Amino acid sequence: MMRSISWKRHLTGYAFISPFVIGFLVFTAIPIVVSLYLSFTSYDLFSAPKWIGLDNYDRMFNKDPKYWNSLRVTLIYVFGGVPLRLAFALMIAMLLNAKARGIGLYRTIYYLPSIIGGSVAVSIMWRNLFNDEGLVNMALNALGIGSVRWFGEPLAALWMLIFLSVWQFGSSMLIFLAGLKNIPASLHEAAEVDGANAVQRFFRITIPMLTPIILFNLIMQIISAFLTFIPAYIISKGEGGPLDGTMLYSLYLFRRAFVFTDMGYAAAMAWIMLLIVAVVSSVLFASSKFWVHYESKGGE
Amino acid sequence: MKSWFKALTTTALAVSLAACGSGGGGKSESSDAGASGSGSPSASAPADSGKQVTLRFAWWGSQPRHDYTLKLIDMYEKLHPNVKIEPEYANFDDYWKKLAPEATAQQLPDIIQMDLSYIAQYGTKNQLVDLKPLIDKGLINTADIAENALSGGKVGDKLYGFTTGVNALNVDYDPELLKKVGIDKIPETWTWDDYKSYALKAGSQGLYFDVGLRPEVFFGYYLRQNGKTLYSPDGTQLGYDDDSLFVNFFGMTTGITKAKGEPAPDVTAQIKGVEDDLVVKSKAISNWQWSNQYIGLQSTAKRPLEIAPLPGPNVEKGMFLKPSMYLSIAQNSKNQEEAAKFIDFFVNDVEANKLILGDRGVPLSSKVKEALKPLLTPEQQKVFDYIAWVESHSSPMDPVDPIGAGEVASIFKTYDEMMKYNKITPEDAAKKFREEANAVLAKNKQ
Amino acid sequence: MRSKSLKSFLYYAIVTVLALIMIYPVLWLFMSSFKPSDTIFVTSDRLIPSPWIWDNYKIGWEGIGENSFGVFIKNTLVIVVLSTFGAVLSSAFVAFGFARLKFFGSTFWFAMMMMVLMLPSDVTLIPQYIIFSKLHWLSSIKPIVIPQYFGVPFFVFLIIQFIRTIPYDMDEAATIDGCGKFRLFFRIILPMVAPALATASIFSFYWRWEDLLGPVLYLNKPSMYTVSMALKMYLDSETVSNWGAMFAMSVVSLVPVLAVFFMFQRYIVEGISTSGLKG
Repeated sequence: MMRSISWKRHLTGYAFISPFVIGFLVFTAIPIVVSLYLSFTSYDLFSAPKWIGLDNYDRMFNKDPKYWNSLRVTLIYVFGGVPLRLAFALMIAMLLNAKARGIGLYRTIYYLPSIIGGSVAVSIMWRNLFNDEGLVNMALNALGIGSVRWFGEPLAALWMLIFLSVWQFGSSMLIFLAGLKNIPASLHEAAEVDGANAVQRFFRITIPMLTPIILFNLIMQIISAFLTFIPAYIISKGEGGPLDGTMLYSLYLFRRAFVFTDMGYAAAMAWIMLLIVAVVSSVLFASSKFWVHYESKGGE
Repeated sequence: MKSWFKALTTTALAVSLAACGSGGGGKSESSDAGASGSGSPSASAPADSGKQVTLRFAWWGSQPRHDYTLKLIDMYEKLHPNVKIEPEYANFDDYWKKLAPEATAQQLPDIIQMDLSYIAQYGTKNQLVDLKPLIDKGLINTADIAENALSGGKVGDKLYGFTTGVNALNVDYDPELLKKVGIDKIPETWTWDDYKSYALKAGSQGLYFDVGLRPEVFFGYYLRQNGKTLYSPDGTQLGYDDDSLFVNFFGMTTGITKAKGEPAPDVTAQIKGVEDDLVVKSKAISNWQWSNQYIGLQSTAKRPLEIAPLPGPNVEKGMFLKPSMYLSIAQNSKNQEEAAKFIDFFVNDVEANKLILGDRGVPLSSKVKEALKPLLTPEQQKVFDYIAWVESHSSPMDPVDPIGAGEVASIFKTYDEMMKYNKITPEDAAKKFREEANAVLAKNKQ
Repeated sequence: MRSKSLKSFLYYAIVTVLALIMIYPVLWLFMSSFKPSDTIFVTSDRLIPSPWIWDNYKIGWEGIGENSFGVFIKNTLVIVVLSTFGAVLSSAFVAFGFARLKFFGSTFWFAMMMMVLMLPSDVTLIPQYIIFSKLHWLSSIKPIVIPQYFGVPFFVFLIIQFIRTIPYDMDEAATIDGCGKFRLFFRIILPMVAPALATASIFSFYWRWEDLLGPVLYLNKPSMYTVSMALKMYLDSETVSNWGAMFAMSVVSLVPVLAVFFMFQRYIVEGISTSGLKG
């Protein structure tokens, strides 16, 4: 009797996740295994891969300064950009959560930069904003700071990318907004009755109730920042300049894979990236026990 | 566990990588019902004339090129009612993104527009067909084409690309700006020393003389002038031993950059296209580039621009005619002979070339060139005349860029920037560049 | 009363100033689309075009080759609508399984799903292309659309997190009422995560809309090209680019995405109404 019930339970579970399982097995499982295999080969896309053991990994860690540079650049991008972007997104979401007139319009305006996303137009526009006679340098001059050579200094160029990612905070904002809206109004009402003021309600209700969404945004933004590729591509014309200052990990990986047709090495890079991201997100998942508040603890 | 894993990977590879040879059709919906789609198994029968044939033709370019190429295809289809040509066009970047997976899946288009920087790769890895046998069969007429003009499409002893037209390096300059800094004109016989003094003169008067010289291109030219080449003939290492050539050349260009005779790399990095080119904005006197780019620069600048050859001495040794692009035929094509006939039309037909009008390089066929003359704009005429001059003032091109040339160029660019930013001396850069470039090229041994 | 209107004034002041900063680059893009193509960069420091021209829209709309820009919009809409529908529905389904049901191997599959998210797709692209080639799906929208019907990891994870903010007593109440898991999902959970579904729809729509790699790889025929491909074709690094047309059509291509955003953001706002259920 017990047994048949648990059978049914497993089956129901699989019935729900079956789309993913089937899609995974048909479309992604084989390519993933193949990419792991390729990471131990020398493969130029056109001729058969040649097994070379750990050579790719050895080259990566010991013989390729460009690899370490790309990792360093990416870490600055991730840990400089993600906190800024999320803080900004949460702040604006709080502002726009108000029931004010014309708020839909404002929401659209704040989301607009994220809609034009990775298009060519945005790259042109952003380059234009930061060039020698651009608005940013004009403002910096007016403030007496003096202009910055955004296209000449590797670190400045990287920050140009980070600012772009912060400017396009719309997707995180939207998720926060949805999360805020999902908090039952009754909780706030009850707290208000109890005499809690706005600040208290923010820390005692809003933030705890929002923690699952904060966790989601944190993990997803970190993953996507690690994998960021398009902005670097459109800003440096795909070359990662100046002096490899915007050579993000994914851009370097793409160049190795498709520009230099060094797919084996690229596959090795991809698996190391997977490991790095997996470790970072596992730490976040593990830490979530201490700070993420779930209304439901996940299933029977 | 181990054997399970091994079994899985083997199957996976069998499925995904060993796709070669099976020629699975990817064209699930051929637009012409009667046509035997190039990728579909039914097309494996030899395509003799009269049989319905579908050819896929892929090229890169911009709107004007797409427009006239589509007209050209219409024209061909009218002449050959049994042939249907499916166009596939994209811009340069996307084009190559698309071609790589198509090659691995044996789904390349029948006719492929090919570039100098990719032909070695696609050619030596068995993706392209040797065109020589097809020419010998008389499918592509080469009667009006000089024998050595075709050799630009050779990789080793195989002809993997049919040159659609040629370009040459040139200096496009604004004569008015030049006069402003006190120089009358650039003489045909000028030298690198002249260049240096002109550039310093311009720099001292707040004008750039040029917008930067791409290191692999112009140092390559400089090496040829000195009887060397950038790559060794077999492409396994650099083709020069004497680093003092490197030091001389880049000592000169970095000196000029520091004297503001040439923009710093961060200034050039801000340029988005011809429209904000420093010559167009009257901030630089000249742009050193390929001759076909003259027309775009001139029409955007809307001022008279002149063409000068590169500096000497030994211009004849340095100058060469470069295939602007090629047409190649895919190894996996089921209709190679029909594809060859289309290439023949493309390079030899006068009416077709009246549409192309030299957009894919100055045509090789003397007959075509003659027929186009009355149709050319004065600017186009200038380019044709320049190419005619180069024909008698040049020597054969180096072998096509070896595999890895793209990576070498990117290493080169980094060191060029570092020198200009004062982060490394030309002496050290020469050594480091040699080390890294040779490491890349060494992979072509075996 | 007075302090309240002051507060509201301050609120609008802050929101407006920030919005202006946010929107300036977009405004620049919009204005540039009315400038003659070859003056866009020369006059990039001026916002207002002079002369003000409409040609970019006219020329841009004529499209590339033999297809007008309308064709590209139609092609993209087909892909995007089909994809978004499949992505949101299947992801919600899968998410419910992960969030509310305990079964053997759920952690494993969740880890697999996160792995798909974390592995750079450049290295799986070629094998995937070959699979689609074996399935005879090349030169069609199938490789772009069909995988969307098998749960999109990002959306699955997103909806999981939203489901987990829903108090568990809701499920229990429903189960006592005799609801099976499927009815529980459709009747109770799905309406409760409406904000998440709306968010996912907005993202999916926009991501598919701007996706370039899929169309570049899988759509061969110019008559099948999408907006993102067309926009890049106004530009060519070798010759003269039509910047004006590119900017103009970029503006045009924003319209559907904006419309969808505007429509769906209402559901994000009105999502709260379901909390009445808890009452």
